[in-house]
Amino acid sequence: MTRPSPFSVRGRHALTIMRDERDLTILRRQLGRLGMSVTGTDPEALVVPSTGIDVIVLDADSIPIKSDSAPQLKTSVPVIALIGTETPSRLKWLLDLQPASFLIKPLRSAGLYTALVVAFDCAQRRSDEATHVEKLEDRIRARRVVFGAVLQLMRSHGLCEDDAFTLIRQTAMRHRTTVEQLSADIIALGGMPNRGRRTA
Amino acid sequence: MTKPSIPLGLVFSRSGPYAMMGREMEKSALMAVEEVNQSEVFDFTFTPHLRDPGGVVPAYHAACEDLIRSEGVEHIVGCYTSASRKQVIPIVERTERLLWHPARYEGFESSDNVIYVGAAPNHTVVPLVRHMLEHIAIDVFCAGSNYVWTWETNRVLRELVASAGGRLLAERLLELGDTSVDHIVTEIIDRKPPAVFNTLVGESSYAFMRALHAASVRAEISIPMLSCSLCEPELEMIGPAASVGCITSSAYFESIDGAANRAFVTRWKARHGSDSHVSVDSQSTYVCIMLLARAIRRAGSSDVAAVRRAAANDPYESPQGPVWVDPDNNHCFLTPRLARSVDGCQFEIFWEADAPERPDPYLSNLDFDSLGAKPDKQRDATASWPTHLRVVK
Repeated sequence: MTRPSPFSVRGRHALTIMRDERDLTILRRQLGRLGMSVTGTDPEALVVPSTGIDVIVLDADSIPIKSDSAPQLKTSVPVIALIGTETPSRLKWLLDLQPASFLIKPLRSAGLYTALVVAFDCAQRRSDEATHVEKLEDRIRARRVVFGAVLQLMRSHGLCEDDAFTLIRQTAMRHRTTVEQLSADIIALGGMPNRGRRTA
Repeated sequence: MTKPSIPLGLVFSRSGPYAMMGREMEKSALMAVEEVNQSEVFDFTFTPHLRDPGGVVPAYHAACEDLIRSEGVEHIVGCYTSASRKQVIPIVERTERLLWHPARYEGFESSDNVIYVGAAPNHTVVPLVRHMLEHIAIDVFCAGSNYVWTWETNRVLRELVASAGGRLLAERLLELGDTSVDHIVTEIIDRKPPAVFNTLVGESSYAFMRALHAASVRAEISIPMLSCSLCEPELEMIGPAASVGCITSSAYFESIDGAANRAFVTRWKARHGSDSHVSVDSQSTYVCIMLLARAIRRAGSSDVAAVRRAAANDPYESPQGPVWVDPDNNHCFLTPRLARSVDGCQFEIFWEADAPERPDPYLSNLDFDSLGAKPDKQRDATASWPTHLRVVK
């Protein structure tokens, strides 16, 4: 699957959490020019659908700081914050939502496309990073398994630690598997698995 | 009884790096103002207030501020480069004035306080690249001036070319005004690309076209060149041999065969000399003032909000054919055309859309995937032309 370019915004769907009619008019018109569709939810009712939304445009001033609404906005969907009040208390509340980009009110037609591109790019990077972190965490968890496999080969083959690890790494490459997976196999089988052919 | 007069700001750089275009556009503006003032159709006259920012970007802001505060203008016609327009937009937005912008540009803008009369990218670069992919080549060598027009045009070009399975063989950039083109010409002669896409502007472009022509003659090769900015007065500056054969995309050519254009060119030549040439930008400047005058007449006032409303969807039979403002984005419906430059500083039009095309400044309706075919597939040469387009020659 090819990932969508952050520059092509056509066909994406925005959810607005705003009240100001003037800003809403400008936003709807500009989103229309860009080929995006839009639905709105009132800041007070705050219904955030769990699917079908590609970006949330949130008027940061429309939700009281001391409210329970913020958790509903903590989704993987990127948030573009519309900022009027630049007080530290409001910005602190906003930072907690990790906005992907922002625009200063009052809105004008210029700026929204940039905010969207930055938001989509930011969401993509965050998702890539989350996947990467998950992979690294798996590897950290597998450290004990790798260490156990190294010990086993050191004993059974009479190797030093460096050579035992090199053997595992090279065998894993040849078998087109990961060091962690091969290590688990070595421990399960009590020795180096004997593969007659490469596995894809 | 004298008619009431409406002050009109005209901001063109008669001096500086693109003075030639600025002077051509101002000449056209003054011709349009005179025609409006002498016409019985309009019950008002324009009083033009001229400003020359000299091609200096910050001077555009100062010129417009002065026009608004000292002369009380509500409408300004002018600007040529995107940098100058972006200087002017904050002040016209803040003071709720209208800038009527004649020049084509790279898109990705839609101010409520600008009427974009020049072509949007879907009118210029898209049909040109389509033509290249269908009839010339899918691989292309790019030479351009190092600024926003080239960057964005080449970005669109790269995506279109890639979707057809081709590639940009090189992207060689020169600073604005730089005429040291020899290294680019040498590379082109050595590599013999199937096509050259030229987004150089001004003297850089003229020097490049002359040098490439001379080198091609020596090497006895001929490489098709494409441009979406070349115009008639420039052909004259390039010279008779080197200016011939460039495939050019534009909404206006002096050679458009229609009664309105023939009459316009005749009036132009009577005023500016039989050896003078109309360019797309000067024609577009004329169209700006006519659209403005018609909107003021319809609105019954020069009030910006009323004029903006009145300008929307009012088809004007201009020299380039019917033109009207799309209220969705303040850009104009225009008819894209493709032509080949020929002897006599003229363009021979070989294709035009059969109706004015809706402006798409963000190219949000451009489907890259549907464009062109992979080179290994057999295809009908005209298969991916939109059905509303026709070949005229």
